[in-house]
Amino acid sequence: MGINKEPSVNLVFFDHLAYIFEKMMKRNTYKYLLLLLGFPLHVVIFIIYRLKRNNDTYSIIHKKINASLQTSGLKEQLKSEFKEQYVRKHAFFHETVDEQHMNSEVDRLAQEKYSKLLAENIDAEYEQQGLVKLNYISYFRDLLKKPLFLIVSFIPGVLMYILLFLISNFFIKFVFERLVMSVLVIAGVSVLVFTILYLSPFDPAANLLGEAATKEQIASFNHTYGLDLPYLAQLWNAVKGIFTFDLGASFTGNEDVAASIANKFPITLTIAIFSLLMAVVIAIPVGIISATRQNTFLDYSFMFIALIGLSIPNFWQGLIFILNFSIKLQWLPATYNPQNLLSIIMPVIVLGTGLTASVARMTRSSMLEIINEDYIITAKAKGLNERQVLWKHAIGNAMIPIITVIGLLFGDMLGGAAVTEKVFNVSGIGSYIVDKQFIPDIPAIMGGVIYIAITISLVNVLIDILYAFFDPRIRSKMKQL
Amino acid sequence: MNSFKKHALKLSREYTQANFAWVLSFAVSLVFLINSFNYKEGTIKSLVFTIFIVYAVFTVYQLFLTWKIKKDLLKFGAIQPTTRKLGYIQLLSILSANVFTASFAFNLIKKKKTPEYTFAVYMLFTQIFVIAVSAFNLFKPYVTDTFVPAMGILLGILFFQIVTLVLVGKYVQDESAPSWFLIIAVLLIISSLTGNLFNLLLGISLAIKARSYDRSRIMKWNTMWNKITRNSTAILGLFFIILMLSLSVCSKYTFDYDLAVENDYGSLLQKPSLEHPFGTDDFGRDLFSRIIFGARISLLVGFASTIIPLIIGGFLGAIAGYYTKRADNIIMRLLDILYAIPGILLAIAIIAAFGANTMNLILALSVGAIPSYARTMRANVLMVSNYEYVDSARALGSSDLSIIFKQIVPNSLAPMIVKATLTIGGAVIATSSLSFLGLGVEPHIPEWGNILKIGSTYLESHAYLAIIPGLAIIGLVLSFNFLGDGLRDAFDPRMD
Repeated sequence: MGINKEPSVNLVFFDHLAYIFEKMMKRNTYKYLLLLLGFPLHVVIFIIYRLKRNNDTYSIIHKKINASLQTSGLKEQLKSEFKEQYVRKHAFFHETVDEQHMNSEVDRLAQEKYSKLLAENIDAEYEQQGLVKLNYISYFRDLLKKPLFLIVSFIPGVLMYILLFLISNFFIKFVFERLVMSVLVIAGVSVLVFTILYLSPFDPAANLLGEAATKEQIASFNHTYGLDLPYLAQLWNAVKGIFTFDLGASFTGNEDVAASIANKFPITLTIAIFSLLMAVVIAIPVGIISATRQNTFLDYSFMFIALIGLSIPNFWQGLIFILNFSIKLQWLPATYNPQNLLSIIMPVIVLGTGLTASVARMTRSSMLEIINEDYIITAKAKGLNERQVLWKHAIGNAMIPIITVIGLLFGDMLGGAAVTEKVFNVSGIGSYIVDKQFIPDIPAIMGGVIYIAITISLVNVLIDILYAFFDPRIRSKMKQL
Repeated sequence: MNSFKKHALKLSREYTQANFAWVLSFAVSLVFLINSFNYKEGTIKSLVFTIFIVYAVFTVYQLFLTWKIKKDLLKFGAIQPTTRKLGYIQLLSILSANVFTASFAFNLIKKKKTPEYTFAVYMLFTQIFVIAVSAFNLFKPYVTDTFVPAMGILLGILFFQIVTLVLVGKYVQDESAPSWFLIIAVLLIISSLTGNLFNLLLGISLAIKARSYDRSRIMKWNTMWNKITRNSTAILGLFFIILMLSLSVCSKYTFDYDLAVENDYGSLLQKPSLEHPFGTDDFGRDLFSRIIFGARISLLVGFASTIIPLIIGGFLGAIAGYYTKRADNIIMRLLDILYAIPGILLAIAIIAAFGANTMNLILALSVGAIPSYARTMRANVLMVSNYEYVDSARALGSSDLSIIFKQIVPNSLAPMIVKATLTIGGAVIATSSLSFLGLGVEPHIPEWGNILKIGSTYLESHAYLAIIPGLAIIGLVLSFNFLGDGLRDAFDPRMD
């Protein structure tokens, strides 16, 4: 898609590959990655290149220019210039001149300048003779343009070619980079959470087995759960467990942690998604109405209610709901029960209140900002009526920051689910973590926290990718990189 | 001409405030009306109903004042002196603790309002409320030994504040104050030790005006505070926060801590009465005292877990924004890891590892908040470090550190302060949520979340045990959010 629009690229695949290779060699991370992944190939090609370079004109020209510059006394001239500058500078600041320091400084500056001039002269010479300067990267690039070379080198350089392919399209490259980043972040999260729990002064063995436990019992407990291993070994096991979905057994009840988490995740996610839907359905219209009727009684009331929604603690709201709707009015069941669909209503509303309030406030401010933009005034001046301006020009652009905010808040909502789940007795992932923390049951807490963090990261990656897909501004920015 | 007067209606600060006051006063009256009936027995609770009547009367008078102001503005384009004089009657509403109408009345009777006048009014309100709340202890069988001297001091300060209010209203101008105000300013600053920070604000403000001849500085100070005080909700938020702060300082001397923590099996689960305004809990502890002492913990944790990440995150953000791309990358990528874990979950993990107590709670909440402060600070620093005055400081040979701390940080603080104010509310909620889960403050300490946890088990029979601490939390959080919104509007240059 975007390939055709690139200025210096022909339709030929090989040329594009070579172009991408050269472009990426200018960026440090990719340069090392490409050299590393295609290491065997690069070794062979580099030897061939060295052999070829000796026959090249470079060394001859280098010698010639160097000799001519030496004879013209350029170096001495530069030295005296720098020396004079140095002395004058010190005289101006009334500082004494340290002879030795001055000499070394002058030598350094002169050498720098000389190398620079030399390179410039060589370049000029090349241009004059109409030659192309040869270096390893351009040499390799030229090779890449030959289909035969690609076929021969495909097996040894397959890793490098895969990487080159991934980064050859800006969109795939963006997705790839984003995914790599989130994998790194998730690994970091695993290390952090494990380290926090590892540093814990509590002793799960003593807590579980009781005070009467013998030393042997404690030692065997620690051995069973690998708690006697050194830090790095335990860390490695934990990180490996996270990525292979095998966290071993929990300390209490001896249940498979990954399986229990997998059992508890769906209900938490269901409640969170319904809350999100509720927030979007209520908050976005409210925000738009508030923004279009700025500073009216309706606007003030909506924003006042939104602020109250932000200030209500989840657990208190849950208790008040139970008090009114379950105890007094007896409309809805007080605790969650998977068989009763009605029982999910209160947890969804309670969990979604904060999100609804934030999104409504955000929508309002984002809409207000957009409404005052120049292009909206232009659209009005063009004679469009309010409704057209609003729907065709304002809302689409106002949604962009809101979607990001929703993505970020979704994470907070999942994190805060523990409180709501406790109030309504939902056996979700949040209440699982809270139940396990008193021991502390390290694999269970770690698994719960990290898998929630992973879910959040994935949601945010998805949002970023969707953006890149829909927002032309982001697409054009990505191409420039 | 007509459009000019319509414009006057829109511009008038008093008219907006009048509407705000009657709407809120009406809402409060309604709450009292609903609560004044005993639905099961079909009787009227006489005490609550009387309060409703009082509020209703002031609300009706407020409506009358609003109508009068509107008529004045439409007819003359300005509020007439007679209308302003009518405001003196509304001052009485302070006796019914109706802050909304009383603050409006103070605004109405004075035509030209300096920030000092507003400070003085709210300073007075805070003091009256503190004294009134403390006076509830008189209904208890006994009071602490320090009650009488403490109340004496508070009343003395109240008298001094009334005098100050009159003097401020009479002598302080927009741009200057007589130099003898310096003595009052010093006294005010000393008396702010009672936790009434309006004293401090007024003291500083008077000191600036009495001493400084630098008009631009005074103008700057005036503009900033005018923007904040014009915003009725922001100043009410500030009032409630300072009231809570002052109560938690004074409660050390006017309230008996034993009533809040010692079990009293003679008075278990009693209904609200004058002796126990909010009733007692399942151990016979006075809920009113517990709520008052709970404010202390909530404010402490809220402030501490905001200031710590503000400093650490701000420092990291400033470095990331100012120095090279590499430092930026390393710091921000590491903080991304922290940012990927939701704050509450990280707090739960940290508390699971190190145990549930107040210190760990503060640390746990602080760590999770660092990345968002760092991001805000970094964005500000990136913007500010491109300004000319930074270049000129660099040209003058300042070191990097002095540029960061003397030029960049002061100029990128405003968004950080706004963010901090808005997140204190979140920290207060997080504190009580974690306490509710049994992961926060130790269970024996009267903290709002702990009180609610007990109340939640008596939801069917004694619902007030759960409702009242929740209202306290909402009140405090709402105040911080109102203040934060107000500060943002005041600092945001786009709103000018």
